[in-house]
Amino acid sequence: MEQPVLAHHPGRVGSGRRPQVRLGKALAPYLLSLPAGLWLLVLFLVPLIVMLSLSLQTCNFGTGACVMTWHWAEFGQQLSLYRGQFLTSVYFAGAATLIDLVVSFPIAYWIAFYGGRKKNFFLLMLLVPFFVSFVIRTVVWQFILSDQGVVLGTLKNAHLLPQSFHVLATGYAVVAGLAYNYLPFTALPLYVAIERIDRRVLDAAYDLYATKRQAFTKVILPLTVPGLFAAFLLTFIPALGDYVNQTVLGGTSNTMIGTVIQNSFLVNLDYAGGSALSAVLLAISLLGIFAYSRLLGARAIEEYL
Amino acid sequence: MNDEGGAGPAQERSAIDPSIWRGLTQRRMSRRTMLASAGAGGLAAFLAACGVQGTSPGGGAAASGVGTASWWARQKLNKKVNFANWPYYIDVLNGKHPTLEHFTQTTGIQVSYTEPINANLPFYAKIRPSLQAKQYTGFDIIVMTNNSPPLGYLINFGWLTPLDQSMMKNFYTYAGPLVKNPSWDRGNKYTMAWQSGWTAIGYNSSVIKNPGSSIGILFDKKYAGKVGMMSDPQELGSAGLLAIGVDPATSTESEWAKAAKKLQQQKSDGIVRAYYDQSYINHLKNGDTLVSQVWSGDIFQADLNSKYRDLKLLIPDEGAMSWTDNMCIPMNAQNPKDAMMLMDYYYDPQSQAVVEYYGNYVCPVPAARQVLLNPAGWAKTTLKEMASSIGLPPSVTADAPTVFPTEQYIKSSRPYYQYKSQEELTAWNNLFLPITQGA
Repeated sequence: MEQPVLAHHPGRVGSGRRPQVRLGKALAPYLLSLPAGLWLLVLFLVPLIVMLSLSLQTCNFGTGACVMTWHWAEFGQQLSLYRGQFLTSVYFAGAATLIDLVVSFPIAYWIAFYGGRKKNFFLLMLLVPFFVSFVIRTVVWQFILSDQGVVLGTLKNAHLLPQSFHVLATGYAVVAGLAYNYLPFTALPLYVAIERIDRRVLDAAYDLYATKRQAFTKVILPLTVPGLFAAFLLTFIPALGDYVNQTVLGGTSNTMIGTVIQNSFLVNLDYAGGSALSAVLLAISLLGIFAYSRLLGARAIEEYL
Repeated sequence: MNDEGGAGPAQERSAIDPSIWRGLTQRRMSRRTMLASAGAGGLAAFLAACGVQGTSPGGGAAASGVGTASWWARQKLNKKVNFANWPYYIDVLNGKHPTLEHFTQTTGIQVSYTEPINANLPFYAKIRPSLQAKQYTGFDIIVMTNNSPPLGYLINFGWLTPLDQSMMKNFYTYAGPLVKNPSWDRGNKYTMAWQSGWTAIGYNSSVIKNPGSSIGILFDKKYAGKVGMMSDPQELGSAGLLAIGVDPATSTESEWAKAAKKLQQQKSDGIVRAYYDQSYINHLKNGDTLVSQVWSGDIFQADLNSKYRDLKLLIPDEGAMSWTDNMCIPMNAQNPKDAMMLMDYYYDPQSQAVVEYYGNYVCPVPAARQVLLNPAGWAKTTLKEMASSIGLPPSVTADAPTVFPTEQYIKSSRPYYQYKSQEELTAWNNLFLPITQGA
């Protein structure tokens, strides 16, 4: 971001004739950024601090009393209890993100390069299914994939699948659900990244006798790296904390950390434990964003958000 | 039940027009769904928890003499009462509540009836600050479920007004065995039941021809991968306790551990398909599961549709958990005497008959059945007026074993364990929650 241009008109520097106006002008950028600052403070920083402080407190839901006990051990306990669920989440979210990148790259590429005047129409087509509520879409998959449902029931009746075969209540179903639900978060940043590639660069590559394959690997792919990484973050981070797909499509041994956190707050009433787990999850997400800004610069993020 | 001879046994349910079961579980479903999806509710509870600093509970009944006979003698009727209930849980006719109208007509007490309770925990979190500050919560009657921690907290912290036993004439005359002197409130010191329901076993009778009569069906390797269990730790743990032959209400921590072991085994044997919330009923309908833990009303609702009439309810020999929603008076209520009048009014068989005709939950007043069969008095005209919108005669409600349970149903009913402290709840959840959260 450029430094805001302050009210330094050469003729007036040091003149001090109308200090009020200068003060107002000097304050303008700060006043303009006030809503955003307040938003960050009230809706991000304060909850974050409350969450972090809560993770070190000892709470009693019955009386509502939370006492600060600096209980750092909470983190160790929660991590040792739920290390497996964290790993499952990273693994599932990673797999889903990878699938999304592989699936949406050709889509984004095609729309950007061959969409022509109908680009916006194709983008809309890509997004239309996602106008339906997230939970409803996931629950519909439950119906489609049920053991005796439209797909599996038919295949089983045709003896193409054994009777005991099932898709629901497996890790595959959860990964598939995640990949499906977060597809637009991958496709859109990728589209933006590919769309903005200057075609003249490609022409230059061909002029220099690059093959189509070389033009792709040496020109297009490197130029889309920031987009790829933005797509990765925008997909991986929400998928990491997702609990809907696991709850709706999963079985007994593929719980994700989001489900555990949800249960900590709503079922177990263990606010400290839930906060500690949330803090760890947040730390993992922040690490990703930090890596991004170090590798590709903070400005690259702005282009895709 | 003194008139059970005339009622059809549970097995003859199919002979009854199944539309009787309409509405049986709407409230419970909405509450489960709300709880599952209500991030907002959780957030409210969460913030409320943060907002209150280390105040110890207090201002309870024992300390202040509230609820003693002399205290009650000093209370006056204020001709108004604020009643907080769950949504869709009371009789409705043309947008009004006939029982409340009748109550106001006969007593002159104005009732402000609201439906702010969608889940026990968030509601408790909402009223707790007032109770801690020894202020009026805004409600003279609230309705709390016996199997959820808040009712235990309210009792243990002295945040409920002990009831005036001399004003419970209808209750002591008409209350049924399920709700009189219940394990969660001995001697009905603080509560009177509003309505009840069961957590039992549902199975697909087109595949399972011979289900037997034991809860062991949920642990049968024959149905490996086709058994649905509930993700709610209280429901899951109670099923485990019943399976090892322990009465959940009087169980001990070492028995909880044994039950958890049994359930863990059930999971590692691959018997459980998944741990479900309210969605279990869809999986049972789809055939994803063949046998499942169920809330009684859901099965009856499923039976409305001829497609799902194969789903049957099994109340096992070991017993079925029964939950009850209870009316109680929070401390510092402004109109306690009016509240007592209203609570006892609902134990009049006539008013209860009107409530059941609309609601079809488990009725706390067995004598209401006679009113439904042979309507008399004010209920007669009201039931008649309601008949057109309900579409079935009151006698159908009267003959439903889920509204007026058979002896077998009553004998099989088991109350939940009532947590006595946060530590107990944590201990319970630490045993049963990990089972549902395998990585």
